[in-house]
Amino acid sequence: MNIDFAPELEEFRTEVAEFFATAPTPAIREAGRKTTSVFAPFEQCMQWHNILYKKGWVAPHWPEEHGGTGWSVEQRFIFAEEYRKADLPPLLPQSLGMVGPLLIDLGTQEQRDRYLPGILNGADFWAQGYSEPNSGSDLASLSCRAERDGDDYIINGSKIWTTYAHHANRMFMLVRTNNEGKKQQGITFLLLDRVDYPGMEIRPIVGLDGFPEQCEVFFDNVRVPQSGRVGEENDGWSVAKHLLKHERGGGSAASPTLLRYCERARAAAAETPSPFGGTMADDPVFQRDLGELEADIASLAHFEKLAISGHEIARDPAFPSMNKTINSELVQRASVLMTQVSGVDGLARQLEALRVGSNVEPLGSEFDLVAMPLYLNSRATTIYAGSNEVQRDLISRSLPGA
Amino acid sequence: MDFSFSQEQQMLQDSVSRYLQKSYDFDARQTLVESDAPWSDDVWQQFAELGLMALPFSEDQGGLGGSISDCVAFAGAFGKHLVVEPYISSTLFAGAALAASDNSAAQKWIEKLASGECVAALAYEEGHGTANLAQIEMIAQSDGGGFTLTGEKRLVIAGAQADILVVVAKISGSDQIGLFLVEKNADGLETRAYDTIDGRSAANIRFDQVAVTHDAVLLDNASNALESIFANTIIVQSAEAVGAMSALLELTSEYAQTRKQFGVPIGSFQAVAHRLADMKIAYSKALATLTYTTALAESGSLTVRDIAVLKGQVGKLGRALGEASIQTHGGVGMTDELNVSHYHKRLLAYDAQLGDHFYHLRVLGQH
Repeated sequence: MNIDFAPELEEFRTEVAEFFATAPTPAIREAGRKTTSVFAPFEQCMQWHNILYKKGWVAPHWPEEHGGTGWSVEQRFIFAEEYRKADLPPLLPQSLGMVGPLLIDLGTQEQRDRYLPGILNGADFWAQGYSEPNSGSDLASLSCRAERDGDDYIINGSKIWTTYAHHANRMFMLVRTNNEGKKQQGITFLLLDRVDYPGMEIRPIVGLDGFPEQCEVFFDNVRVPQSGRVGEENDGWSVAKHLLKHERGGGSAASPTLLRYCERARAAAAETPSPFGGTMADDPVFQRDLGELEADIASLAHFEKLAISGHEIARDPAFPSMNKTINSELVQRASVLMTQVSGVDGLARQLEALRVGSNVEPLGSEFDLVAMPLYLNSRATTIYAGSNEVQRDLISRSLPGA
Repeated sequence: MDFSFSQEQQMLQDSVSRYLQKSYDFDARQTLVESDAPWSDDVWQQFAELGLMALPFSEDQGGLGGSISDCVAFAGAFGKHLVVEPYISSTLFAGAALAASDNSAAQKWIEKLASGECVAALAYEEGHGTANLAQIEMIAQSDGGGFTLTGEKRLVIAGAQADILVVVAKISGSDQIGLFLVEKNADGLETRAYDTIDGRSAANIRFDQVAVTHDAVLLDNASNALESIFANTIIVQSAEAVGAMSALLELTSEYAQTRKQFGVPIGSFQAVAHRLADMKIAYSKALATLTYTTALAESGSLTVRDIAVLKGQVGKLGRALGEASIQTHGGVGMTDELNVSHYHKRLLAYDAQLGDHFYHLRVLGQH
């Protein structure tokens, strides 16, 4: 057993921190501070994506030959830690975290050549078309149809909860190509080269936090080429399951973001009066709540580091589900603690002040500005990417005797 | 980063596991616990033959120069078999306190510990159950040729049987914490022996002006040494606790697949399945934290916060896992006959010693 604390790593940390201190524009920094979701403000996020691409640091978790950095586990964690300390907007997961790694693993050479460059440099943004109005947790029941017609498929139906589809120029999706046999066996995985095909319509959905983050996408006889298929026809479920490994964890680390939330809550609590006198930070109950949360986040960090280093814990079939469950519930707990600190100052609805570049001065502190939207948005973490009820089903099936 | 055990460590792990599987099944353990003997001398000698007694001491001191991860490698098997022999408290905990001293008397006892000829006990706890040295109340009063020790120690594991006590006391007139060697049967000791809920032998020991000479002073400023001894002990005890958690998770999930109610295995009910999933999550978090913290200790980079995370997490998660296991077993989980409650009691005992999770988690939030 060993953990490398070589002096070169501290040099690496300094190099990363210096880049983060100088490279982002003021608007990118503002977007980082105003990120109240897994999904950062789109425009500035993609600007930052391109800056990181030019530096060669956009995809640390990718294989080196496809544009990864070839860093050690220690370096990847240092990068993630410095990233969060600098409050920079997280990169959007759909392209770099999902469809990119999937194409590296399962795409044709032609698909890789066509799509990986745009995924890496940020020219493209991919939406994920999975859920449907009647297919949420039971995703395999999906009914959006694709029928062969010459070299094309004709798509009819709709998708929902397609995050940032209104910003996307490409889309990957699951469609039904067969109604016979097991429901999992009639699904096909498609890459859509555009999202403005005739018959395609994207409608944003305003969320409980006031932002149009999610979308509904309608398909009315939309003609797309069959060359966009990944894997065989009717074998899309196994393609999607492969992608889920990337979606539910393994690639990136969530713990630095969560620790950052704690740091912000701790700092704000030191400035917030407690109804028992003194500040909230002095209150023993608050200390215990914060300590419990920080300890749980530390355990997630340990879990992530073991996984990235290739420890057997990550080869457990339930690893992605455990990772998703732990991480998503910690985001919620951290956001609860943040709203506890912001108190009544978190009740003001301040959509304009939250908009990057609005120049609207927030009421109260920047912490108070983001705490409530973050809390509201993070209600989604235990619902998306397979609800935590589904995750617990999967975890229980991995146990001895099951 | 490398979080795996070396080949030698895996061999050590295998030999300890094999021995315990052969000689320390649950029935044998219960027979031992219910007998008058505090533990098994045979098992103690077998531990010596397996090399465990000499393992933690340096080669200069006649030991094998083992590392903290060596101990972590096999301590899980102690948890799985609910070992009652005071190996961790004597060889590792009290032994480390002796090894931190350059006193020649300490060296003599280390040799005996390393060969399995004696048992030592570290008298630390005073009832508040914290690992906060600032709260130590036992006083060592300077007295011409030595010191007199006055106060009370609680939950001294093997305290009634140990040949030697290592006593933690505040040196009167200073802020310093000293470590003192007190031989069995010293004048002024009043020992009240008892069994713990998890099958071990412990004692509360009253010290009424127990006189020790200067030669019995192991360390006169022991705070830093004790912090590190506590840290190492917490790591190995956590490995034992995680071993108990692993055993509980396995036997509980198997039970849920075989126990039938309403005509189907109870594990097929989502309410039960999700509790099992939470048990697996708890175990995985505890295992990850134990493994990472061990690697940190091995790299010499351990901080006070890291130990607070480990002790707080394993204490809290172990207790939750034990409670969930009893609930899943239903009525039979409430019996003394089944091993489930014994695992739970070992996890409770782990949590209460050296600062419980309430303490450690608040420490984290405080600073």
